[in-house]
Amino acid sequence: MRDAVAVRQGGRMITVERLTRKYGAFTAVDDVSFVAQPGRVTGFLGPNGAGKTTTMRVMVGLTPATSGRVTIGGHLYKDIPNPGRHVGVLLDASAQHAGRTGREILTLGAQTMGLPATRVDEMLELVSLSQTESKRRLRNYSLGMKQRLGIAHALLGDPSVLILDEPANGLDPAGIRWMRGLLKSYADRGGTVLLSSHLLNEVELIADEMILIGHGRIVAQGNKEQLLAGVDHKVTNVTALDNEALTRSLQAKGFTVTPAGTGLRVEAAPVDVGRAAAENAIVLTDLRSADGGLEDLFLELTSDTQRDDLTEGARA
Amino acid sequence: MSATTAGTPIDLSDTPRVPFSRLARVELRKMLDTRSGFWLLLVTGILLVIAAGLVLLVVALNDDVGPSAYDWSQILVIPLSLLLPVFAILTVTSEWSQRSGLVTFSLEPNRLRVLGAKLAAVVALAFAIVILATVLGAVGNVVGAAIGGYDAEWNFGPRLLVTSIVVQVLYFLMAFGLGTVILNTPGAVAIFYVVALILPLIVYGILYSIFDWARQTIPWIDLQYGTAPFFDQDLDLSGVDVARGIVVVLLWIVAPLTVGAMRVSSSEPK
Repeated sequence: MRDAVAVRQGGRMITVERLTRKYGAFTAVDDVSFVAQPGRVTGFLGPNGAGKTTTMRVMVGLTPATSGRVTIGGHLYKDIPNPGRHVGVLLDASAQHAGRTGREILTLGAQTMGLPATRVDEMLELVSLSQTESKRRLRNYSLGMKQRLGIAHALLGDPSVLILDEPANGLDPAGIRWMRGLLKSYADRGGTVLLSSHLLNEVELIADEMILIGHGRIVAQGNKEQLLAGVDHKVTNVTALDNEALTRSLQAKGFTVTPAGTGLRVEAAPVDVGRAAAENAIVLTDLRSADGGLEDLFLELTSDTQRDDLTEGARA
Repeated sequence: MSATTAGTPIDLSDTPRVPFSRLARVELRKMLDTRSGFWLLLVTGILLVIAAGLVLLVVALNDDVGPSAYDWSQILVIPLSLLLPVFAILTVTSEWSQRSGLVTFSLEPNRLRVLGAKLAAVVALAFAIVILATVLGAVGNVVGAAIGGYDAEWNFGPRLLVTSIVVQVLYFLMAFGLGTVILNTPGAVAIFYVVALILPLIVYGILYSIFDWARQTIPWIDLQYGTAPFFDQDLDLSGVDVARGIVVVLLWIVAPLTVGAMRVSSSEPK
């Protein structure tokens, strides 16, 4: 990662500035602005059709912007010479000639970028594709294998920026964990990672920063704490050593309590439940908000009807 | 290329852009490294051998048949022009139909450079194949003469050699151009075969032999008829012959390539 040496934490590696892309009357990306910082994994999150892919395609010059622009390391992508050496791109792991072997696909990339053939073997090893697998044709690859190959292709040129569209798609749980580790350590070495996903849990675990997009607009951005700061927790799941005592003390305060599994479900914030337990010296074994947290927020923010009035509160 | 005020600049001074020769080499490799590429070459090779074998067989069985070098070239060109222009189509259209353009155009965002590299690769391949066929024809001519017991006739002058190479390359370029305009493999292949083979062989051939107006019109619109006078070694080309040659090249090579270059630049590879 040659470029990363010069990079300071907190800088801006990818800068999206008021990007809009229209297709006739349809606005796929609507006035989107955000940055991705070096040394961090930035998650680009939204339901299908929210505009994630279009934004990424504009980033690498495959789709022209209607207005606004994207710079990477201060440059428009089309102005970067031999861009594979600076920016690793994986937009669609299936978008390769089905009749080529995995090894051949990497070899073509390495030759274009002017890399030694040994780099192909290094990358195959990095993504755990065996020699035998690498000699199979792409049409015989599972989606998970295609994703691994795509990540290998993106990393070929030892870039300082990674742009990955739905990279975890099709990976098994072990594969997802592997990719998480790979991208984390890549970011820890100073690399910039922008990855998109429609699966919140996937992104929540890996991203330092999240950009939530729905219907072409950014609805919220920030880290997990910032995103959740504006959400009211009104329902709590709690389990105590003495559930009955806790029920009495909560009801005395006027909260509705219903049994739920081995514990209780209380219509109150976790802080109120904890306070009630502390006042009565009741030992709690489990206390957590029953709201879906990010998931609820995500669904609310990206749903058609509620998006606009809920956005403000959650904005970082 | 202005660095934004708050940007973290990537230093580009050490990175030269991808040299054109490297792009062209990769594009040549991409034409041959797929199964379809392999089979196209193999089948063409087999057809070439069969064609040469058939001629030799006829020579061996008939005393009064002695093909000249020109006859040989005419025969061996058939298997070449049958399948190989598909290479020129596929190199463009597969980027769209196989969707590999996403990667190709990410690694070299200047699409006209990629298109130029593909064009260079197609021309190189066309040259290699025509030269191979010429050599094979020369060998066949010698062998045929030995088998048939006649003197080999070398009526294949430099003008004929140059013309047949140029026209073969023109057909490749026409296929390439149609590929860039249509950006779809089956569509481009079908239209190429209609324009390059079926129309001249079936439709134009009949019209040409019957109607006077067809003899006047067809050389202006068909590559084969338009370039035919250039193959006649004894003919002094008239102004009309040259004009027809120029018009068919403009019509079937320059125009499609121009429209196609615009298509490739503006189309979004999905």
